[in-house]
Amino acid sequence: MTQTAKIVIVDDEVHIRALLEQTLEDLEGEPEILTAPNGAEGLALIERERPQLVFLDVMMPLMNGYEVCAAVRKDPALFNTAVVMLTAKGQEADRTRGLEAGAHHFVTKPFDPDEILDLAREILAHSP
Amino acid sequence: MIKAEHCLKPAWVRQQCERALALMPVGSAVALWLDDRCLLAIHETDHPLSEGAPGVQAFPLMLEGTRVGALLLRLPVEDETARAQALGWGDLLTHALQGVLESEYGRRSVGRETLETYREMALLQRAVTDLNHSLKPAAVVAALLKEFDGRKGTADYGAVFVHGTDAGAPDRVLSFGEDATAAFGRLKDSRLFADMAAQDTGDIINDLSSSPLWAGEIADFHALLWLPLVSHGEALGLLVLASRRTEGFSAADLKRAQTLSSVAATALHNARLYAAEQEMFQSFVRVIATAIDAKSPYTAGHCRRVPEIALMIAESAHRAAHGPFADFVLTEEKRNALEIAAMLHDCGKMVTPEWVVDKATKLDSIVNRIQLIALRFTVLRRDALIDQYRAQAAGADRNATDAIYQARLRQFDDDFAFLETCNTGGEFISGEHLARIQAIAQQRWIDDPSPQRGEVGRGASNSRSESLPLLTENEVYNLTTQRGTLNPAERKIVEDHVVHTINMLSQIAFPRSLRHVIEYAAGHHERLDGTGYPRGLKRDQLSIPARIMAIADIFEALTAPDRPYRKPGTLSWAIQIMHRMKLDNHIDGDLFDLFLLQGLHLAYAQKYLAANQIDPTDITRYLG
Repeated sequence: MTQTAKIVIVDDEVHIRALLEQTLEDLEGEPEILTAPNGAEGLALIERERPQLVFLDVMMPLMNGYEVCAAVRKDPALFNTAVVMLTAKGQEADRTRGLEAGAHHFVTKPFDPDEILDLAREILAHSP
Repeated sequence: MIKAEHCLKPAWVRQQCERALALMPVGSAVALWLDDRCLLAIHETDHPLSEGAPGVQAFPLMLEGTRVGALLLRLPVEDETARAQALGWGDLLTHALQGVLESEYGRRSVGRETLETYREMALLQRAVTDLNHSLKPAAVVAALLKEFDGRKGTADYGAVFVHGTDAGAPDRVLSFGEDATAAFGRLKDSRLFADMAAQDTGDIINDLSSSPLWAGEIADFHALLWLPLVSHGEALGLLVLASRRTEGFSAADLKRAQTLSSVAATALHNARLYAAEQEMFQSFVRVIATAIDAKSPYTAGHCRRVPEIALMIAESAHRAAHGPFADFVLTEEKRNALEIAAMLHDCGKMVTPEWVVDKATKLDSIVNRIQLIALRFTVLRRDALIDQYRAQAAGADRNATDAIYQARLRQFDDDFAFLETCNTGGEFISGEHLARIQAIAQQRWIDDPSPQRGEVGRGASNSRSESLPLLTENEVYNLTTQRGTLNPAERKIVEDHVVHTINMLSQIAFPRSLRHVIEYAAGHHERLDGTGYPRGLKRDQLSIPARIMAIADIFEALTAPDRPYRKPGTLSWAIQIMHRMKLDNHIDGDLFDLFLLQGLHLAYAQKYLAANQIDPTDITRYLG
């Protein structure tokens, strides 16, 4: 990481955005945290900001998480952007669809803040 | 900790400040400081405004009664009216920032609580699964310690002490950390530990040197966290964590430990209940096995020794990496089932009459009837003597009658000796034997030659002085048993013990993990060629543990120190007989080979057999 890391949170639920943001503020190096309330705005934000890490909800209006993820994976400029999908507990099928869309990481909601932090640290540490 | 600077977004603050500045005289400057950091500064070229500098007016920002920062304002004009107006705008801006700061702080406090709940929920979800994974107390304790061991930034040492059944200080059962065994051993002897163990709740001591009860017992320990493991109001044990650093533990660490300990205590409680149930069941099994063994002095220890042999073979088969048992896995469930089956395999013998089980000779009943026959021979000898006297009294030749008398005595002795031999199970009864027994039986004896005396004797008829056959029909029937001592009816009774075993065990509500007990126990008299009993099962219908049971049962019976129908067998003799059974496809040859190759026969012999039973055996003759 040569500059301040950027993290984008895309979720239509305001409390998830707020809680994720608040969790990620504990990361070292004070990464810049940006949020979007739906898939379409989220994709635009990701393409503009090229974050190292995106947290992506599955069920969202305008564009769902799989579609956003697939679009991110198709964009060569976003080769280094890691996608973490936020899935509902007990929905194993979400995971399969997420993998197909090119997501590598999955976190179930309600999430464990420590798990989010460990995962974000791990991804940012290996980000070029 | 919620940072004030996180509560105000710089972009929004800048917007508000620029709006306010637009209302102020040209050249005014504004800056926002929070948590001793300048968040933004507008219209400053050299360096940001700082509090206390000349001409700088500070508007404090407060959170929960504490000053967390300030909006700084510097005005270029001296005009009092304009200045007062600008300060009014500054005051208004500060109120706006203060309002947002407070609401955002409130929202984040709620958010923090929510995240803490998320954190605890995730921990609970994982802990409930991990800590309840096993019903073994030791596994529960290990899973609890694993939650602290290797977790960065927390405990360097950890141990769980568990209360035994009797009162007193709990014992350490498991620990982690450098040289933990010695360290916690010394901790246990400390005054502080006694104090900790006596308390109802847990706590943290973040600077051990300040504790009056601590004498520096372990140089490496600088902070301690402890928690009693309490379930259903009962203290089951104590969790102790230690850190090399003073201030090593936080309130969050204690809370986390409390969450885990509460789950662990319940799991430990359940594990103990389960262990107690298991122990009670095991003791019932032992009672039954002891009762079977106690019923017959000859089979004493059989139900104790068969499990040993069966488990030796099963464990050997489990270890075999290649050969016929490469795929055989002795799971813990199967092992338990086999052990219980081996202890209970003869439980049906409880209802088998012991005079059958212990039948040492063919004429044994409640009494050994050979003595009755001996008595009749005595009568015959006496009658022969009387005959001799009568003949002599009638004037017969003394020498001639004496010769006849002696010949008859010899014949009686010979016949009786022959019957005695037949009475033991060792002799095979051939057609020749049969003819002689029947011939002897046809001899007559008179139970009471004097009409004045009452009748005596078994099987006597009502009429006095009547001659009787020397052997009753029932005695002939028993004496002509071809092999062994048991006549067909009695053999059936003995064989029925397996049926009784099955019937009895079928009434026990075995848990799923012990569902194989009946099959294993019922198979110990089956033969691979289908000639065994009670079901006549064949090789493919018998599981490996059931086949192991058969071998263990036979080997124990053959080498048992005392049997009613024979002397203790030697090791080589037992193996020779079992080899014959292997050739006849009665027992599993692969298991028998494994038994010999692994030296299990010797290992068992050295533990249980008398020295004079253990003779050299060349096992190579019996392999393959």
